[in-house]
Amino acid sequence: MARGIGQYIVIRGLMIIPTILILYTIVFIFLRILPGNPVLAVVGTKNISPEQLQHLMEMAGLDKPLYVQYFDYLWKMLHGDFGVTLAFPMGKPVVEYLKLRFPATLELTIFGFTVSVLLGLLTGTIAATKKGTKIDTGMRLYSIIAYTLFIPWFGMMLQYVFGIHFHVLPTSGRIDPGIELQRITGLYVLDSILTGNWEAFTSAIRHLILPATTLGIVLSGAYTRLVRNNMVDVLSQDFIRSYYARGVRDWKVTWYALKNAFIPVVTLMGLQFAILLGGAVLTETTFNWPGMGTFIVDRIDYRDYNAIQGAVVFFAFFVGLISLIVDIVYALLDPRVKY
Amino acid sequence: MKSKVLSLALLAIFVFSVVASGCIGGEKTTTQTGGAGYAEQIVIGVTDKVTDLDPANAYDFYTWEVLNNIMEGLVKYKPGTLEIEPALAESWEVNEDSTVWTFHLRKDLKFADGTPLKAQDVVRSIERVMTIQGDPSWLVTDFVEKVEAKDDYTVVFYLKQPTSYFLALLTTPPYFPVHPSYSPNEIQSDQTAGGAGPYKIAKWVRDEELVLEANPNYYGEPPKTKRIIIKFYRDASTMRLALQNGEIDIAWRTLRPTDIESLKSEGKYSVIEVPGGFIRYVCLNTKAEPTNNVKVRQALAAAIDRQEISNKVFKGTVEPLYSLIPNGMWSHIDAFKEKYGDGNIELAKKLLKEAGYDENNPLMIQLWYTPTHYGDTEADLAQVLKEQWERTGVIKVDIKSAEWGTYVDYARKGQMQVYLLGWYPDYLDPDDYTTPFLKSTANSWAGTGYANPTVDELLTKAQSLTDQNERTKLYEQVQKILAEEVPYIPLIQGKLFVVTSPDVKGVTIGPDMIFKYSTIYKEKS
Repeated sequence: MARGIGQYIVIRGLMIIPTILILYTIVFIFLRILPGNPVLAVVGTKNISPEQLQHLMEMAGLDKPLYVQYFDYLWKMLHGDFGVTLAFPMGKPVVEYLKLRFPATLELTIFGFTVSVLLGLLTGTIAATKKGTKIDTGMRLYSIIAYTLFIPWFGMMLQYVFGIHFHVLPTSGRIDPGIELQRITGLYVLDSILTGNWEAFTSAIRHLILPATTLGIVLSGAYTRLVRNNMVDVLSQDFIRSYYARGVRDWKVTWYALKNAFIPVVTLMGLQFAILLGGAVLTETTFNWPGMGTFIVDRIDYRDYNAIQGAVVFFAFFVGLISLIVDIVYALLDPRVKY
Repeated sequence: MKSKVLSLALLAIFVFSVVASGCIGGEKTTTQTGGAGYAEQIVIGVTDKVTDLDPANAYDFYTWEVLNNIMEGLVKYKPGTLEIEPALAESWEVNEDSTVWTFHLRKDLKFADGTPLKAQDVVRSIERVMTIQGDPSWLVTDFVEKVEAKDDYTVVFYLKQPTSYFLALLTTPPYFPVHPSYSPNEIQSDQTAGGAGPYKIAKWVRDEELVLEANPNYYGEPPKTKRIIIKFYRDASTMRLALQNGEIDIAWRTLRPTDIESLKSEGKYSVIEVPGGFIRYVCLNTKAEPTNNVKVRQALAAAIDRQEISNKVFKGTVEPLYSLIPNGMWSHIDAFKEKYGDGNIELAKKLLKEAGYDENNPLMIQLWYTPTHYGDTEADLAQVLKEQWERTGVIKVDIKSAEWGTYVDYARKGQMQVYLLGWYPDYLDPDDYTTPFLKSTANSWAGTGYANPTVDELLTKAQSLTDQNERTKLYEQVQKILAEEVPYIPLIQGKLFVVTSPDVKGVTIGPDMIFKYSTIYKEKS
C-alpha cells in the first residue's frame, strides 16, 4: 500500500513536467508569432540608429535563432532561472518579480477560496436540507447567478456600494499608503500577525474584503450545486434515516451528512484553486491588486517575453502542485481510489 | 425557525464586509497631520509608471517628473513659467558664440544623505550619461563635446556647436547630478539614492507605491508636505474610485475625459486645468501609395475638423492644433488653419479630384491606431477621423489597430499608410517639435519617410542661431513647408488636469508639464 501511494505520487508529480513543457512551448510560439518585440516596445518613438537597435536586440538575446532562444530559456528554467526582464526595468531577474508579486496573488486566492468554500458549503447545505422548497430553488438560482457573474462588473458594483456609497471599505490596493510592514512571507495578513503590527493587519484585512468577496462569491456557485446534490444523495440513505429514528438532532444529522458528502468537494477544491488563480487575474485588475495577474497584463503590453514566459510557467507549476496535493489527499481520503 | 437562522447566516456573510470594516476601523487614512500647520502626507494617484529611476536611461514624462522631484539640475524652470532660474548653479556665463558655458555652483550643496555635492559630481554624472549611452543620452552627446570641473564649484561645458537653447537642455534629467552610489558605467533602474532635489525616496515598490520624504539637506525652501506617496493604478476608473473614496488626495495623470467631466459636475473636487505641451498628430507615409501623392495628403488635412474631435472624443479636454509647434510656444503659427481652414470638405474634394479620385473612384486608405498606449479614447479618435474623411464622399477608410510593440515595429518599417501618434517634449523649444519629425536624419522612428533638404538646412541653421527673432523666422518657414507637404497632420494639443480633494492647495504645473510636489499642501483640519 505504502509503495503504491509512493509510486502514485511520483507518477502524478512527473506528469507536471510535460504539462509545463507544453504550456511553455505554446506561450513561446505565440509570443514570437506576433509582430513586434520587447526592444521596439521600449524604444517606442525614439530616434535610434539601426546599429543601436541591433545592439539592444543582442543584449536581449533576441538576435539568436528561435530554437536557440527556446532551449536557452528552457535550460535556464530547469535551473530555477526565469531570465531577466526585457522591458522596464531592463535586466532585472524575473524571479525577483515573482517573489514580489506571487504572495499578493496567493493571499487573495486563499481568502477568495475560503469565502467560496464557506459560502458554497452553506448554500449547498441549506438547499439540500430544504429540497423541493422555494429556498432550494433560491439557492440553486444563486449558484447559477454567482457562476455567471462577470468579475470586473461585479467587483465594480461592490466598489461602488461599499467604497463610494457607504465609504466603509477601500476600493483598491493591498494596504493603506504609508503603513510600514516588515516583509517576511509577503502575505500581508500573516506578516502583520508575525510582527504584531495590528494597524497593518486591520488595513490588510479591510483591503482584502472586497476582492476576496468578489472572487469568493463568483466561484461559490459551483460548490453550491455540488454540495447540494451530494447532500441530497446522502440524506436519502438508510443511515441518515436511522439517525432521525433515534432522535438525533437535525443539525447533527446535517453535519454527518455534510461530512459524507465532502469527498467530491475536495476534488472540486483542487480544481477551483486553479480557476481561482485565473479569476484572481481579473480581480486584480479590477481592484488594482499588485499580484501576478496585473504583472502579466503589464508585461504583455511591453511584449516582455521572459517575464510572460516565466510567470505563466510558474503559475502552471503552482497549479500542478496544488492538483497533485489534492489528488494525494483525495487518494488518502477515499479508499476506493486505485494507485 | 432553523431556515430563518440559515438565511440570516447567508446574509451575514454578504454584509460581513460592512460589519468588519466598522469593527476594525473604517476611517480613511490617507492623511496624517504634522506639526507645521500642514498635513504630513499627501497621496497622489497616477496611471503612469516609473520606467527607470536612472536619469541616464529614463526617457518618459512621468519618470522625468519623479526625477525632477528627487533631483535637480544646474538650472530649472521657475514654477508655473517658462522662465529659467538658478538651481544648483547660482550663476553662469556664456562665451560670445554660445559654445562655452560656465556655471558656478552653490557652496552648501549636499545630496539627500548629507554627502557634499561638488563640481566633480556634476562632471561625473554627465560623463556617466555619455558612457552609458542610454535612451536620452543624445540630449547630452549631440551637444556636449566635453565637460570639466575647474574647481570644486565651477563647471564648464564645451559644446559641439553653438546651441542657443542649452539652458533648456540643462533642465532635463540627463544633466542632473546623481549620488556617487550610482554605478559609473551601468544603468541602475531601481537605484533610489537620487540626487539633490527637494525630496528623497523613502520606499519604492515598483508599480505599486513610491514614498518620497522631504530631503533634509535640500539647499532651497523645504517642501510644504513632508511625505508624498505615489500610488500606481492600472486604470483610470480604479483611480477615480480611489479619489472618490478618499484613498488618494490627488488624481493626476491620467483620468479619462468622461471622468474629468463627471468629477467637475459633482462639484466636490478642485479640477485644475493646465495647458499641456503634448501633441497628437496623424502620420502619413510619403513613400507608399496613395499617400505619396501630396494632393492626397493635403486633402486629408483639409477634411479634418479639430474642434469636433476635441468636443466629441475628448469632451473639451484638449485644444485644436494647427502646427507641430504647440500653441503658446514662440514661433508657433496656425499654418494648417491658414492653408486649409478646418473641416474644409469642399477643398478636400477639390484636391482629391486633382489627385484623380471621385465618387466613382474613391480613395481607399487604412487608418491605424494603437488601442491602449494613448488611453482608451484612441478607438473613438480613429472613428471620428474616419467619419470626417468619409464626409467627402470620396474617401473610404478602413480602421486597423495593433498593440504598441507591433505598432512601433510597423511604423519604423513604413508598413502603415496613415496612423496616429503622439509626442511629449524632451525640452521646451521649437526645435524639439520640428527636428525629430522633419529632419531627414532624425525622423526614421516616425516611418513617414519624409525628407526635404531645404527643411534640413533651415532646422540646422535654427539650431545654431542665438537670436530668437532669427530663429522664429526659420521655424515659421518650416511650419509653412510642413503645411504644404503634409507628412504629418497636427490634430490636438493636450491639456493637463489635476483633480484634488478640496483641501489640497498649492498645485503648480508649468508649461514644462512637470508637477513639483514641494509646493502642494493640505491644511490641518
